[in-house]
Amino acid sequence: MTLHISEVHLRAIEAYAEAHYPEEGAGLILGDEVGERREAREILPLPNRREAGERGRRYEIDPLETLAAEDQADALGLKIIGVFHSHPDHPAAPSQTDLHFAVPWYSYLITSVRSGRAHESRAWRLDESEAGMQEEELEVRPGSGRLTGAPDRSVASGAQQEEG
Amino acid sequence: MSQVRVPTPLRGYVAGQTEVEVTSANVAGALQELVKRYPALRPHLFGEAGELRPYINLFVNDQDVRSLHGEQTPLTDGDRLMILPSIAGGAMPPGLRGVDHNALRANQGSIIALLLIAFVLDAPGLAAGVGAVMLLGTLAGKIGFLPVYRSLRRLRLAAPDILQDNPEPHRFAQGLGAVVLLGGAAAFVAGAPALGWGLVWLVIGLASLNLFGGFCAGCAVYYWFNRLGLPGFSQAPPPGAFPGRRPQPPVE
Repeated sequence: MTLHISEVHLRAIEAYAEAHYPEEGAGLILGDEVGERREAREILPLPNRREAGERGRRYEIDPLETLAAEDQADALGLKIIGVFHSHPDHPAAPSQTDLHFAVPWYSYLITSVRSGRAHESRAWRLDESEAGMQEEELEVRPGSGRLTGAPDRSVASGAQQEEG
Repeated sequence: MSQVRVPTPLRGYVAGQTEVEVTSANVAGALQELVKRYPALRPHLFGEAGELRPYINLFVNDQDVRSLHGEQTPLTDGDRLMILPSIAGGAMPPGLRGVDHNALRANQGSIIALLLIAFVLDAPGLAAGVGAVMLLGTLAGKIGFLPVYRSLRRLRLAAPDILQDNPEPHRFAQGLGAVVLLGGAAAFVAGAPALGWGLVWLVIGLASLNLFGGFCAGCAVYYWFNRLGLPGFSQAPPPGAFPGRRPQPPVE
């Protein structure tokens, strides 16, 4: 399985992750799938609804936002093919928490943000046994893409980094 | 007749349908009806013990069934039962947070420098003042000499070094140092300056071990108390870190 994403979309996801640092930023990836090829077509940033003190290490999207996103995807002839979220000062690999909540079939794109700068993005998928997540190939192609204008209520949340 | 809305990841198990019609009168019945008709769906909705999988949310129309009557929530004609995946996760295990170790280093450096000055100038009052700042910082849940670090940051002489760590042991270590220094101050008042300077040098030594050796003795004490199950010492060492040792930056 390969997740194809435009450079514009990936940069937008990374900019979103940086804007939310030191909190986790998250959203949904809309796209389509033909055979082994999965193509990201739209990026839908969504608010992290975890409480302020937890957003530095957790994310959660309101299920009703997910429902609205599914309706939006249906209207566009697309599907929700995956989820993106950031790991502030942590590797771009799934944690135990990510594994616990991982939904089969979705692609999970994780962006590692180091000291406020996006460092790396990698894609993962729950394996068939659901005991672990396997990395999937991420193919970034130069080209256009656009951000879907979703309201984002979490950008200005401003949690403070722990200083000691 | 009610509709069950199936999320994208599960549509492959219900012949690609977005919505499936059911006749059951409540949520539990509708789910059973669904998995009876589409057995391949069962392991994705329910665990081995029959419990709902952690990534499944159930909504009737736009209300979470947990705020209604759970799986016993009734369904009436025209209701929509939504199966919605939980989109959730996060980078770290519980407890760990980003802790700026350069803020801790600035604190240790300030403590060492001021205590050395106090010793050289034979100024026990200054040593007691350092202890008071550390104590007040600990009581406020902050590091005592945070303003020094903030000034260094403003002057661009320091940059954050954020590691996944527990902040509590560091605060405990600072509090322990404060108690030792205030014990030293009491020794001076009691007319035992040798004991007083001995305690000051103990703090200088342990702060230096932390600053230059990456080992926080007070944190190690905190983690030992945690291992003994003492109340108030709830955090365990970060995974893979020896208790008291500075955690390693994440490895790719």
